[in-house]
Amino acid sequence: MRHTLLEILLLTIPIIANIGFFNTKLLKALSLASSSLELIISLLLYFEIPVKGIFLIDNVTISFLLIVSSIYLLSVVYSLKYIEAEEIKGIVSEKLYYVLLNFFVASMIFSMIINDYGLMWVGVELTTVASALLITTEYSEISLEAAWRYIIIVSAGVTVALFSIILIYYEYHTLTVTSILSSQPKDSLIIKLAVALALIGFGTKVGVFPMYTWLPDAHSESPSPISALFSASLLPVAMYVLYRVYEIYPLTDLFVALPTLSIITASIILFKQWHIKRMFAYSTIENMNLALIGLATGQVFGAVILLLAHAFGKAAAFYSSGVIIKTFNEKKIDEINGLYRMRITSSSLLLSSMAVTGTPPFGTFVGEFLILKTLVQSGFIIEFILLVIFLALIFISINYNVSRMIFSRPKYDRLPKEPRLMSLVSLISSIVSLGIGIISIIWGVIG
Amino acid sequence: MVNTQLLELISASIIVSALYIQGQAYFKPAIYAQAIQSALISVLAFYLGFALSLIDYVILGIIIVVLRSFIITYFLFRGLKAKPGIRESTRGVASELVVNLAFFFLAVFILYYFVLGRIGLTTEAGTATLTIFSFILFFQGLFLIVTRRSTVAQIIGFIEEENSIVLFGVLTVPIPFLIEVSIFLDVLGLVVITSLLTLQKLEHTRLEELMG
Repeated sequence: MRHTLLEILLLTIPIIANIGFFNTKLLKALSLASSSLELIISLLLYFEIPVKGIFLIDNVTISFLLIVSSIYLLSVVYSLKYIEAEEIKGIVSEKLYYVLLNFFVASMIFSMIINDYGLMWVGVELTTVASALLITTEYSEISLEAAWRYIIIVSAGVTVALFSIILIYYEYHTLTVTSILSSQPKDSLIIKLAVALALIGFGTKVGVFPMYTWLPDAHSESPSPISALFSASLLPVAMYVLYRVYEIYPLTDLFVALPTLSIITASIILFKQWHIKRMFAYSTIENMNLALIGLATGQVFGAVILLLAHAFGKAAAFYSSGVIIKTFNEKKIDEINGLYRMRITSSSLLLSSMAVTGTPPFGTFVGEFLILKTLVQSGFIIEFILLVIFLALIFISINYNVSRMIFSRPKYDRLPKEPRLMSLVSLISSIVSLGIGIISIIWGVIG
Repeated sequence: MVNTQLLELISASIIVSALYIQGQAYFKPAIYAQAIQSALISVLAFYLGFALSLIDYVILGIIIVVLRSFIITYFLFRGLKAKPGIRESTRGVASELVVNLAFFFLAVFILYYFVLGRIGLTTEAGTATLTIFSFILFFQGLFLIVTRRSTVAQIIGFIEEENSIVLFGVLTVPIPFLIEVSIFLDVLGLVVITSLLTLQKLEHTRLEELMG
């Protein structure tokens, strides 16, 4: 009973926060309270696992819950300063922004904790409904186009995932996750087809080739706190659902091949990026696909560490990008220079770029190390060699661009003023990513 | 006892409606055709509901006709700012339709011989071939999205994809009712949002900032 209460609270608190819709200040305060409570409840649930019934929460779920609730809190704090009423002119008002943000988080949590494949699908589709308009917050023709591409591409992908869900139901006559996973594995072509379709379908939202084209558009045109939530929370949530389907019948070869192809293509496109947020969006594709390889090869711990550290690192990268774009009113990497004069922002940008590229001793390095090690042990030598080459390319591309922006000579004499709250949130987030790595190494997980 | 020929006739009519939409440059007939397509799927659900004495199918048929044929049609017209007579600024609709037909027959061939013939999926009517119609409708929806730049045509393509899923579910195995309804509401939510976007942006072009 106590378990169910905690889970129901977890699901409903972000929705209840929206009762402050009539007053912006109240809505902001409630959103802040909601995000703090979500993190506390997620931590409390850690001591209650495993939970099985209407909801399913195990070791893997709790890690994903912690990711979502932490980034929710950071994004709400960041939004308090970032989203200012006078700058919002389009469909989404300041109030609607917080309402949609809270619904978006509630739908992500629903997708993760519900013990039913069909309702997981419903949750994933709900995340699209709740988040599509958020992309257009900073209203422009480009953001409208990005929102449109997001809806059309993701919906097409998620429709493929529904074929997969129907095929699972056809074979098992139930959609309860625990019942299916505890039953005798079925070696049928229908189940294999269902798992393969799930990779294409849910993979669209994870950022798997070839359906990841929505990702750089949506990430680059969303306001920075939403870009952070997309990259750090939404994609891992979709990956969690995909992983639950994968557990029915592990098609390991396919789940290693397609993510490897995704990383290769993303690294080639990333090499020529000129837009600061698009660059980080392609880095998200790399990290998500590497984590997916980890889950597929049985290196769940490595994948979780990678996702956790990436969540904080990438959130920090988008938060710092947001500060930079607001300060310079510029998105082009070539036009951003002399950032070293913004001490907090440049520190967080540098730390976050190191975090997302897997620099030691960040948590992403620990995760990547464990995953690559397991890949070799599992006999995927060609994939391992390709990954090492293209991960190095991504590492060089991102760190070169970030170094240029920070250490180049400033074009203007005017000293840019840093928005303190936003910069601090960004710095804290990047330090957490570093902390995860240091703690993991002290615990000896890579020994 | 289910009459397989009747099921095939209705399913074929659904595909014909999809081809008709592909050949349309004017918004109004395309929107009405998607309403008819959804109504045909509900007819299929009603028929199977009565033939197999399954109340779920009958309720599903009612939901389909109300949500897809009426409410979604209403939102699409609303998205057009009450100017349903306007035409999409596109050329070569007829040649696209010819390419589409070639694509259509190739897809049928591949699906029939390489997928459905091997996996052993049977429908409520006891045949495997009927499910091919749902896959064809899905690809038809995708093709419409890829070939058109207008928001309305792309929404219709998306609805066709969703209709293909309903068709697949109705013909093979209906998923639990709660989930079915949630799916319908999700899709409705998306259509409402897309209608909002339609009011802002009626056509989609290549934007330099979103390249690469």
